[in-house]
Amino acid sequence: MSETAWIDGRAVTTQPGDTILAGARRAGVDVPTLCFEPGLAPEGGCRVCLVEVEGKAHPRAACHTALRAGARVRTETPALEALRRDVLALHVEMGGLAGDFTGTPFGALLARYGVAAPERPAARARDATHPYLRFDPARCITCRRCLHVCADVQGSFVYGIDGRGPETRLRVGPDDRFDTSPCVACGACVEACPSGALSDADREAAGRPDGAAQSVCGYCGVGCRIEVSVEAGRVAGVRGVPDAAVNRGHLCAKGRFAHAWQRADDRLRVPLLRTGTPDDPRWREISWEEATARIADGLREVRARAGAGALGALTSSRSTNEAAYLLQKLFRALLGTNHVDCCARVCHASSSHALQLVTGTGAASASYADIERAERIVVAGANPTEAHPVVGARLLQQARRGTPLCVIDPRRVDLCDFAALHLQVRPGANVALFNALAKLLLESGRVDAAYLDARCEGLETFRAFAASLSLEACARDAGVPLESLRHAADLLAEGPTLFVWGLGLSELVQGTASVMALANLAMLTGSIGRAGAGVLPLRGQNNVQGNADMGAMPAQLTGYQRLDDADVRARIARSWGAPPPTLPGFTIPEMFASARRGELRALWIMGEDVVQSDPDETRVREALASLDFLVVQELFETGTARYAHVLLPAAGYLEQDGTFTNGERRIQRVRAAVPAPGSARPDWLAVRDVARALGADWRYAAPADVMDEIAAVAPHLFGGVSYARLAGDGLQWPCPAPDHPGTATVHAQGFLRGRGSLVAVDYEPSPEHGVPEHPYLLVTGRVLQHYNVGTMTRRTPQRRLAADDRLEIHPEDARREGIADGAAVRLASRWGETRVLARHSTRVAPGTLFLSFHYPETHANRVTGPHRDPRSDCPQYKATAVRLARA
Amino acid sequence: MSRDARDATAARGVASFYADLHADPAALRVCRGTSCWLAGGDTVWRRRSQEGACRGAYCLGWCDRSPALLRPDGRVATGERAREGDAADAPDARPDVRSLAREPIVTARIARGSFAALDVARGDGAYAALARALAGPRESVLDAVERSGQRGRGGSAFPTAAKWRDCAATSAPSRVAIANGDEGDPGSFLDRVLMEDDPHALLEGLLLCAFAIGAQEGIVYIRSEYPRAQQRVRDAIAQARAANLAGPRILGSGFSCELSVVSGHGSYVCGEETALLNSIEGRRGEVRLRPPYPSERGLHGMPTVVNNVETLACVPAIVARGGAWYAARGTPACAGTIGLCLNAGFARPGIVEVDFGTPLSAVLADAGGAAGGGVLDAVLLGGPMGSVVLPRDFDAPVDYDAMSARGLRLGHGGLVALPRGADVRGLLLHGLAFMRDESCGRCAPCRLGSARAHALIATQPGAAPRDALLRLLDVMEQASLCGFGQLVPGPLRELATHFRAGVFGEGA
Repeated sequence: MSETAWIDGRAVTTQPGDTILAGARRAGVDVPTLCFEPGLAPEGGCRVCLVEVEGKAHPRAACHTALRAGARVRTETPALEALRRDVLALHVEMGGLAGDFTGTPFGALLARYGVAAPERPAARARDATHPYLRFDPARCITCRRCLHVCADVQGSFVYGIDGRGPETRLRVGPDDRFDTSPCVACGACVEACPSGALSDADREAAGRPDGAAQSVCGYCGVGCRIEVSVEAGRVAGVRGVPDAAVNRGHLCAKGRFAHAWQRADDRLRVPLLRTGTPDDPRWREISWEEATARIADGLREVRARAGAGALGALTSSRSTNEAAYLLQKLFRALLGTNHVDCCARVCHASSSHALQLVTGTGAASASYADIERAERIVVAGANPTEAHPVVGARLLQQARRGTPLCVIDPRRVDLCDFAALHLQVRPGANVALFNALAKLLLESGRVDAAYLDARCEGLETFRAFAASLSLEACARDAGVPLESLRHAADLLAEGPTLFVWGLGLSELVQGTASVMALANLAMLTGSIGRAGAGVLPLRGQNNVQGNADMGAMPAQLTGYQRLDDADVRARIARSWGAPPPTLPGFTIPEMFASARRGELRALWIMGEDVVQSDPDETRVREALASLDFLVVQELFETGTARYAHVLLPAAGYLEQDGTFTNGERRIQRVRAAVPAPGSARPDWLAVRDVARALGADWRYAAPADVMDEIAAVAPHLFGGVSYARLAGDGLQWPCPAPDHPGTATVHAQGFLRGRGSLVAVDYEPSPEHGVPEHPYLLVTGRVLQHYNVGTMTRRTPQRRLAADDRLEIHPEDARREGIADGAAVRLASRWGETRVLARHSTRVAPGTLFLSFHYPETHANRVTGPHRDPRSDCPQYKATAVRLARA
Repeated sequence: MSRDARDATAARGVASFYADLHADPAALRVCRGTSCWLAGGDTVWRRRSQEGACRGAYCLGWCDRSPALLRPDGRVATGERAREGDAADAPDARPDVRSLAREPIVTARIARGSFAALDVARGDGAYAALARALAGPRESVLDAVERSGQRGRGGSAFPTAAKWRDCAATSAPSRVAIANGDEGDPGSFLDRVLMEDDPHALLEGLLLCAFAIGAQEGIVYIRSEYPRAQQRVRDAIAQARAANLAGPRILGSGFSCELSVVSGHGSYVCGEETALLNSIEGRRGEVRLRPPYPSERGLHGMPTVVNNVETLACVPAIVARGGAWYAARGTPACAGTIGLCLNAGFARPGIVEVDFGTPLSAVLADAGGAAGGGVLDAVLLGGPMGSVVLPRDFDAPVDYDAMSARGLRLGHGGLVALPRGADVRGLLLHGLAFMRDESCGRCAPCRLGSARAHALIATQPGAAPRDALLRLLDVMEQASLCGFGQLVPGPLRELATHFRAGVFGEGA
């Protein structure tokens, strides 16, 4: 039987599920469409894609008519032209349209078919209630593409259709306005709109862009590829790269719209020397030459006086791999200390440490593409639709497609609306919950025995441990009904599962334990190393994965290589001219403690506001204030920057070249779209020049040169990585050779450490559990509108979307405490207190509170305490005993 | 918050779609169906509109005694009572039901009165076929329906057994059987009478369907314009359930099936099966793209069979007496009988059952021609998606295919008399208003074209809008998404061309 169809005389090989439109596009035949949204189910409403099929009396809509073998289709006939023209004319005559459609697909069709644009005043007013989004009903042709992308790509369900017949029209949210709608400003609808009815502030402000650059978003660790259009040296707009593996054109509000920080008035523009105190900083502008010399002198002086162990550095997870690599190299190779760390310490250090121990590599085994392949998904301790919106949307859509989703989180996060199951675990009690699930799986024999036998070790010890556990006790500790645990075990028993998690597992005293306990489940279900399954921790910052990869860790070298491996040391010595010091250095909390003891005397902080982001703010300030010499590279004068002796103006992600590595180990190219303000410079360049001032012969002319060295230093992961190969979607490490395609699924051929290790790890109550007179457990975290300490997002219209941090409190608790919605609250722990505004919310269970930390005046980290995971040194942000009082 | 907002947005979209959901529940409903319009319903409508809360409905299904109105208490007033006020008809008012068929099947009971009470229906043999079928394999039921050659009576004449087999062949864990009681075609009222007076035939047919396809749930979707039918079917379900004829382990067999009634909310398009599914799911009653067909993915994604009321009401007889018995009636391609509805424009209105193949002229003769002895200029056949039949085609046999060969559509079998002297331009305008008001709004040609066409005729006198109108009807017919937009223009064009002078003036 013939597999061929003919479209306008061109032969097309039919494919399963083919439509005439898909076939025509493959054949290069242009069939006009208005309501068709690529990648989504056809709507079939605009009727401009009508074609003639031989043997059929009436024209057929190409978008939803199957292309059958043998079919003969014509897409351009006088009758079709006339039909399309008359249908378009109906919009103009009867659709209530007004305005100029030039430059839109609808306008192009009007011109192509000779339909005059409408000339009448608009009957309904334009909606401009939102900081970004605009809706002009007089330009809406009710094609519903916005509705479908909002529902089926983003998952926000902003749009509805009102009325029927000729009264049918688009509704924007319950009140027909953006500001009260559930819109998250992802902007996908604006991209989809064919008539310009939907627009945004950037598009309205843009004139004629004169340039564009493809790069990677600098907000979260998802790593969306963006295309930045530029007009006279300013960002004119940001779009998702349509064919990007990570985001397929999708973005969140931060990635798309929150770029005003780039031209904020208070950007640092020149190097500064502090003359005042940190409380009242006054600054003297200095040249880069002077700044570089002062930094080199300062570091040299401290080392001469107090030894190499008195020096430390924090690389920036917001900056590039190249910058992180060079800063750790500078401290190790030139200054002779391993006191190098990055903010992974205060986020996923526990995940990284646990995975390294039990699997052999401290990173995700899976890729985002596994979300769409997954047959069941667990999301634990994470709120992806807010903190990782593009991955959150992919998870949400996969759940909508019917993949069972189990959410394990103290909060009823938005994903729960789409989940088969939500286990509302007590903060800090993950281990009890995961152990109970392991016991349920083992005791019913519903584990992947062949996988465990072939790939894992420690099963018998673990089985004995599980047997010793009491399910009732686990359920009680976890705060989850045993019945729910049984349902979750039933879900896992079905087979390989994709385990996605966030800082709700990691940022606890039992952080490493939580991740190991989860990894046990991943092994019992035979998940790690399989497509559509495995472990996928969601990395927080755009390049936190890369910072750890680059060796910004005190006990490991570039590529997670051991400090005590002689071959590694020899290879690095050849490259660096000197081997790294042998003794492991300090973690961030250890550096601060050392500083407070008067031992650590000088610190270089590349782009991190530890005053706002690290726990126990008061003690962090003490540490910084005690330093003899502090170098900070920053975009703005942050709380941390005020302690700097030399403050260097940095280039942001829109202003520099280099690479970021996302949470699925994907190394992608970052490219400067606009110039940095003043004399602000990329971090790597500032580091290079200080190294030269210290006498090093660092010849890197561009970030690509740095990447070549990284490949040579850690060939097992990066040997095949070079800028020439990083166009497009980049490479996922391990990529050990120039002809290696990169790795989507790690451990596919067996665990990198040999055998995956099942670890018996018992639940231990948190030191913040059961604290007398502190009846609530506080969880801190992020909200959709802001990014981390808000340095960037607070300087954008995101501020209008979320003007402050709010304490989420269950209405029952609020009633008992007499706290009204919106009232000021005094929030106190044993470690400190702050004053915040309350928001009643049923997202938290009674007894649990949630507070974001985006605004410095919130001082959320005055309340968080000193506890750290003894294995990873990661602080406990996710459970702090607090009490409340009306302020 | 986001979920509330999402639900609110969707709910407003749904509420604004269905006439009932944004209308005054205390409003009187005035029938604006074709029969009532021809009977001067517009006068009733105008007068009642001035008097108080009042809304129109396409249609109330009392075409044999037009004009009609439906009171908020669920009772109807027809004929002179509707013209003068709203005094209710007698509660047991029912149309004249007669048969020209060799043997009446679908009207066998309703011709003799009401069989709504279970004991009365069982006394007449109801549920005997079900009881026998449950003792055997479901294949026997499928086989009987297949051999009968029965085609769906909703208008599309699709073979009943083909739907059932497609659905039965799916591997889904649960399936649904649905009776389509959304008899919206102005001019038809057979399904209403069946639901009111022979609900157990419908339920038995529905249960046989559910048994045959492996469904555990049966739903009767009934339009809100039929409150009495809703009540009678609800009562019938309660009686059947109490007698173990519905619900768990029916008649002691392994077959369980829960039955329920779902009410429509005022939308003609919801008679289309995929729009009906959306309506049951609480969505806007817009059609779905096919494939997938409901038999594969229907209500809430479950494989679903949707059959018209008349179709299902025949099934017990088919199963009881065998497919061959049924297939022996009618014509080879159109087996069995069909119940035709004749409106008040005929001398003898009512329901007439005929064997397929019976000439239309025989039906018209039996009906005594036009009421009052007038001349019948045409018969409006098969509702708004049917045909305008001129006297030259009165000899056409009642038969889907033979009529189709003449360009006629039998539809659901309603006949509305078009007497000489009728205001055909008004009738055309009325038809265009119907299309505009009932278009679901999903596709552009139907949504915008119907309004444009109505505006043309309403605002431009004489022959001026003629060419533009005909072109618009073509565009809608050629370009619309579903059967509504594709088929409603047909009879409107026929009206405009057959009665050119009447519509556009002499010399047009």
